[in-house]
Amino acid sequence: MARTRSNPAKTVTKESTPEPTPSTIKPLPTSTANPPKLFVLPKNTSTDARIVTLDNPANGTPSRYYFCPANGFYEFTRIAAPKKDCRSWLLTGEKSEYGNTNTSAEEQSTRIGSGYITNSADLLIATPIDTLFLILPALAPKSAKDMKQHFLAFDDYLDMLASSSSHWKALLSQCPTLKTMVEKRMCVICDTVDAGLETMYRISTSKLLDVLVKKAERMVQHGLPPSLEEKFIKTALDVPVLNIKREESTLSATSITETGTTDGGADKDSTTTSTESQISLETTITTPTDDFDIPLKPTLATPPEILHLLRLRTSLTYLSTSYLPTSFLPSITSALKPRFTPLETHLAAITTLKSEAFALRSISDNMSRKRSIEEDDDRVAEREQKKRKKEEEDKKKKQEGRGIKQLKKVDTSGMKKMSSFFTKVAKKA
Amino acid sequence: MLEARLEQANVLKKVVEAIKDLVQDCNFDCNDSGIALQAMDNSHVALVSMLLSSAAFAPYRCDRNIALGINLGSLTKVLKAAGTEDWLTIKAEDAPDVVNLVFETKDADRISEYDIKLMDIDQEHLGIPETDYAATITMPSVEFQRICRDLSALSESVSIECSKEGVKFACQGDIGSGSVFLKQIEKVDKPNETVKIEMTEPVSLTFSLKYLVNFCKATGLSGTVQLSLSSEVPLLVQYDLQDQSYLRFYLAPKIGDEE
Repeated sequence: MARTRSNPAKTVTKESTPEPTPSTIKPLPTSTANPPKLFVLPKNTSTDARIVTLDNPANGTPSRYYFCPANGFYEFTRIAAPKKDCRSWLLTGEKSEYGNTNTSAEEQSTRIGSGYITNSADLLIATPIDTLFLILPALAPKSAKDMKQHFLAFDDYLDMLASSSSHWKALLSQCPTLKTMVEKRMCVICDTVDAGLETMYRISTSKLLDVLVKKAERMVQHGLPPSLEEKFIKTALDVPVLNIKREESTLSATSITETGTTDGGADKDSTTTSTESQISLETTITTPTDDFDIPLKPTLATPPEILHLLRLRTSLTYLSTSYLPTSFLPSITSALKPRFTPLETHLAAITTLKSEAFALRSISDNMSRKRSIEEDDDRVAEREQKKRKKEEEDKKKKQEGRGIKQLKKVDTSGMKKMSSFFTKVAKKA
Repeated sequence: MLEARLEQANVLKKVVEAIKDLVQDCNFDCNDSGIALQAMDNSHVALVSMLLSSAAFAPYRCDRNIALGINLGSLTKVLKAAGTEDWLTIKAEDAPDVVNLVFETKDADRISEYDIKLMDIDQEHLGIPETDYAATITMPSVEFQRICRDLSALSESVSIECSKEGVKFACQGDIGSGSVFLKQIEKVDKPNETVKIEMTEPVSLTFSLKYLVNFCKATGLSGTVQLSLSSEVPLLVQYDLQDQSYLRFYLAPKIGDEE
């Protein structure tokens, strides 16, 4: 009974109606085209805070950000239940202010007020994002060629930002605080030159790198999220046990394929979500490490500095793939390389170990497999011969007298062989 | 070609019976002096040497030296078909594939004939020098057999101590120990019961009882047995047959780990 009733409830998005009594016939309202979404927004934001659409620094696609003139930018992270799990949110009216701000329709407060069940159990969480990352696209060299950029005035950069999206333009004009915010962050990552009254800026890769490394260090210090830790640290440093290599190598195989799929999936996800709502997906969290991902093999005797390096690199990779414009990636990666040389050698060693283990595995696999048809003749002959030999021996054994068998059991230790007493003679013909 | 007739099939029967529990296959080397056999057991600590001299056969004819490789189990089977009193004739070609055995009853009423396939046996042949033993004991074969049997119930090995007074067979086992002492005694009327010791110096050696018991299967061949001992050389157990024929067993002494 309960089952049949709950099924339709899930498929139809409906207002939480009072207990459906058979007497009162109340049709369910049709599901709205623009259902409310559930957000977790930061506290203490100013009333001017709003959701804006800006270009995602990493992939240039328009994405939603939450902007507060006082506190800066927030990015949205969607936490979604796995597709197979049928989950939904029950929203009731009391805390309806947030619902209001998100979804512009006025009457929604009343809608929520009576309670609402959303079809999708997504939760959108706003987390602070460094303004730095959002202005990076403007600072980035326009093409790979003009790496030697010119110093530009601050206003030129602002113009560039404003031209990139209308929301930037609006924000910059409406919010005086934003300008100072942007300038402060720019100072951190730019070389500056004073030209008269004006200060000129140019992006500095090394400064940017310092900022990134600092962020990464902090991330490592607090401990990587378990999913990252498990996938990129633990698995990567697993040293295959040569005796049991089978397990090991399957593991490595799956981890590789996994990374591949999540990468692709994440990209797709982020584009679709950004157009439709905003946000980088929960999946993006695990995406990172495009370039380093594959050779992630762990180690028994992993020196602690290697562990630290790997964590650092993982978080750096995560940061750069999630927030850096692609044009920065090559220079950043190459600048980081020397720092990670010991890690590379360690990982390479593990990779060789793994491949060895894999090779061994395939050998042993082959042996355990049924013999192929072509070997059959040889094998059969061989076995026949063995069998015959064995039969002969068995026969001989059977013929052996009881006395001979008993003598075999005699402990002959301490007894020398006859040949040590008597000399051998060539047999007379 | 070989043709040798034995007046009593029994002799060969008993010889084969005595050694078939020590060796499986062996070569019967036939030459004009007779039929000889030498073989070692599987662990090469014991050796059996037999000679049926040509004098034991009537007639005996052997043109060339022939080695007849025979499985003793097969030979036993065939010999079972022979009556104890039957005449036994052994025949073989010069380069034989088979050995032919003919059993005739005394009155020649019944003649049975068997062929045994021969086998190529690659065996070491050891030269056994004439040895002057420190002690030689002659005693009734039945007595020796009994001593070996009795002591083997207690232990794996027996020490044979020979002195002027007599010979002592002693053993120690898990359940206890035992010994048999035989004094030198001469019985003129019953020479088979005589215990005679000829020695130049006292000897004491230890031997595996299982092997000795095995040797004792030859007891039926002779009323007396000779044990010849010298330290550091194999024990010789000899059963004398008629007409300078003999059956000899050699057994390596146990050295070192005497319990």
